[in-house]
Order: sequence, then structure tokens, then C-alpha cells
Amino acid sequence: MQALRTAATGMAAQQLNVEVISNNIANMNTVGFKRQRAEFEDLLYQTLVTPGAQSSDQGTVVPTGVQVGAGVKAGSTYRVTTQGSMTRTDNNLDLAIDGRGFFQVTMPSGETAYTRAGNLSLNDQGQLVTSEGYLIEPAITIPPGTTSISISKSGQVQAGVEGQTAPQILGQIELATFVNEAGLEAIGGNLLKESGASGSATTGTPGTTGIGTLLQGYTEASNVDPVSEVTALIVAQRAYEMNSKVISTADQMLSVTSQLKT
Amino acid sequence: MDNALFVGLSRQIALRRELDITANNLANVDTTGFKVESLMQKVDPAGPARTLGAPNPVKFVVGDGVARDFGQGALRRTGAPFDLAVEGDGFFAVTTAEGERYTRDGRFRLDDTGKLVTQAGQAVHGDGGGEIVIDATKGEVLIAPDGTISQGTERVGKIAVVRFDNLSVLEKSGDNLLKNSANAQPTPASDAIVRQGMLESSNVKSVLEVTRLIEVSRAYEQMARMMDAEAELSRRSIERMGRIQ
Repeated sequence: MQALRTAATGMAAQQLNVEVISNNIANMNTVGFKRQRAEFEDLLYQTLVTPGAQSSDQGTVVPTGVQVGAGVKAGSTYRVTTQGSMTRTDNNLDLAIDGRGFFQVTMPSGETAYTRAGNLSLNDQGQLVTSEGYLIEPAITIPPGTTSISISKSGQVQAGVEGQTAPQILGQIELATFVNEAGLEAIGGNLLKESGASGSATTGTPGTTGIGTLLQGYTEASNVDPVSEVTALIVAQRAYEMNSKVISTADQMLSVTSQLKT
Repeated sequence: MDNALFVGLSRQIALRRELDITANNLANVDTTGFKVESLMQKVDPAGPARTLGAPNPVKFVVGDGVARDFGQGALRRTGAPFDLAVEGDGFFAVTTAEGERYTRDGRFRLDDTGKLVTQAGQAVHGDGGGEIVIDATKGEVLIAPDGTISQGTERVGKIAVVRFDNLSVLEKSGDNLLKNSANAQPTPASDAIVRQGMLESSNVKSVLEVTRLIEVSRAYEQMARMMDAEAELSRRSIERMGRIQ
């Protein structure tokens, strides 16, 4: 019976839906996290009577054919790249991006990854690094004896050094933008990697056309909305139940057939 | 004598097909732009219900066609700039490797060249039938209810929304796409409204579908019972005839 297999695809799809939702809820408090959503597409149709086929010599046509669908499949898990809200931390190494753009991170392998998580720290050499200790690109080194660090909206890093009256300019943070941000590939640890779907990175100064500005002392919260996630969870659960109802109905009908006395 | 069995069997075959279609509806309860379907059945051979004096032919039931309800699905807000929903009668047109297809699923995105495409990478048609290319760095993309795309004060293009006079020429081809199976030419849909940041949910009404499940399974049981009774009848008559001899 096709209905059994069709309902099984429905249950598998809803299971994936629940997995995506639970990942969103689990990352509700992850800095710079962008929520994902599972999207579904219908599977192939088996055409038993072709619509539009001639039904007589007089040129009459079958108005609608008999097409039986084979169920549903996961189309994509789409990343929703809307802005997360800004959380004030007062830590002067926390940076949030207001608008488009990603920080560039040099991975230990030499590759460049991208992130919106701006909770930065210093390593033992005074360089700006992510919470995992990966270098921010272009590298910025804070000299010893620094009393204060200020990062402007356009990404200029200045340090007040002991014994100097004028602040010392240390460097410029640059952000990367992509034609299709949603096409970036997540590699865990709040990091994203360039992919064929995202297009190549364009780097630029924060605040210029098409690139967001930086906010010092803030981090970007995740854009997960717990209420809508929980609602989505309820919908997914009910859809799962209804598909299992199809399986039990199909099973019941098969058992009626197998119990025929003749 | 065996006709009652065959009539019952024809009903059971139709019911199984109805179950398959209901299963597909329920599997797609969460599929963007999905349109609900139901099985149409007819009496075969068709004829007058009763003709006096003439022999009354045995009638069977057959699945005749699939009725597709193109009614509006509920719109849900997503906030993504390239999520589009059609309100009213109309479809987006996309180019696939197999030719032009139509869809109500407006989960679009930009590909690596800035072209507006579906999730599967198929180009979305613009007003004149060409592709739509958007430079995302030029600022926020706004899509007006008539499909006009603008960035700031600049008009970038217009999304084509088309309609068919006769919706039954459309055939589902999977992946949320519809195929034009006849030579019917689509015309621009002037009444349809494009909603940016929204998606059209599936128009499957789960209560109706679950009710249909119950109905199908009970009808199937009833047919099985009728066939049982019929077989019992012929068994008994054979027994009795044996006794008379």
C-alpha cells in the first residue's frame, strides 16, 4: 500500500522539523546564532490518468487526471539571517554588527571562516581572537601597557597607552559580506564557511554602503524567538501524529483484507 | 452471482486510492504552497439509474480524477526579504531543466551571481520572461504588492505572476512545482497580490483529512463484510442444493 510509505515520508519530515526546532531552542542564548527552519517539498507524482488526454475522437479532453503523490521530502534547512537583538555587556572587547556583514576568522588550517559572534578576547600575544582563540583578520595586536581600548562604529581600533596623551591607532576591523548570506555553510562553533551557494566574500569597512556598523560593548543575541519555536514544535508534533494515524488506518484496512473468509 | 464481489472489490480499489491521496495530503500538511487533493469517483458504466423492462447493468465504482483545491493557504510571516507569497489567483514562473514550471512556493533566494532563484536554484521569471538579478549590497530590497522590486529609489525589476483560465491544465510534477500539460498560454495575473516576507502554508485542513481517514477505513470494512456475507450466501446455497439432490 502506497499510503504506508507516504505516511512514513511524512513522519520522517516532521522528525527533521523537530530536530531543527530543537537545535534552535538549544541555541536560544548562543551569541550571533541565526535560527534555521526546515522546508518541505512534495515528492514525485504517479500519473494514472493524464490530464489533458483525449477522451474521444471529438476532441474532448480528460479535465483532471488521476495523480497520486508519493509523500514529502525535506527541501532545505534555510538560515533566517535577520538581525538579532543587541545585548549590552560593557565588555570593551565585545562587538556586535548592526546590519550586514561577518567578522573574518583565520582557522588553524589557514582557511578563512566567518562569524557574527563578536565576543572577542585577547591571546597571550595581545592579539584579538575569538572565544576559541582563532585570530581575527586583519590581525590587531594590543600593545602592553594599554589602559583602554575603543573601537569606533567604522571599525577603527584605538588604544590609550600609559604615558601617551594621544590614543594610538592599532588597526581597522573589516567585515565580509556575501551576495547570499543564507547560502553559507555552518561548521559549528558559531562559524560559517563560504560555499558555492553563498558567492565569494567582499570585504569592506564597516559603515560603508551595504555593510553594517560595529557597536562596542554589545553582543548580538540569537534571533530565535522562543514563542514561535514552541508553536512550531506543537504543529510538528500534531503533524507527526496525523501521519502515524494514516499508518494505523492503512494497517487496519490491510488486516480487514487478510481476514476475509473466502 | 459473483458480481457483488466484483462491485465490492471495485469500491475497495477506489478506497485504497483515496487513502493514498489522503496520506499524501497529510504528509504535506507543512509543505509551502501545497494544494490539497481529493479523489473523484464515478459510476461505471454510466447510464440511467433505472430503465423499466430493460436489463439493469451491474455498475462499478472507479476513481475518475483528482480534484485539486487551488484555494488560498494561510499566509505566515517569516520576515525573510525573498520569501514571497501570492494572494489570490496566480503563480510564480520558474525555469527548470525540463522547461517552464509554475509554483505557489515563494521561498526564493539569491544565488552566487545575485540571480533570484528557488531553493533548488531554478531562475524566477521577471516581467518580460527574463531572469531577475539583484545586487544585495545596494541596500534593502522592497517588493511591492504588484511584484515590482526596488532598492532605494531605483526600480530593479518585476516578478512575473501568471494565471491560467483553466487550472485543470496544470499537473503536479513534485518539488512544489506544477507543469502546464496542455498548450494553454498563461496570462499576467493582474489581480494577484505579492506579499514580501510571507509564505503561503499548505491548504490541507487536517481535521477534514483525518475524518476522511476514518470514513475510508470504515467503508473498506463495510465492503469486506458485504463480500463475506456474499461468499457465505453462495456457500449456503451450494450446501442446500446438495441436500435436495
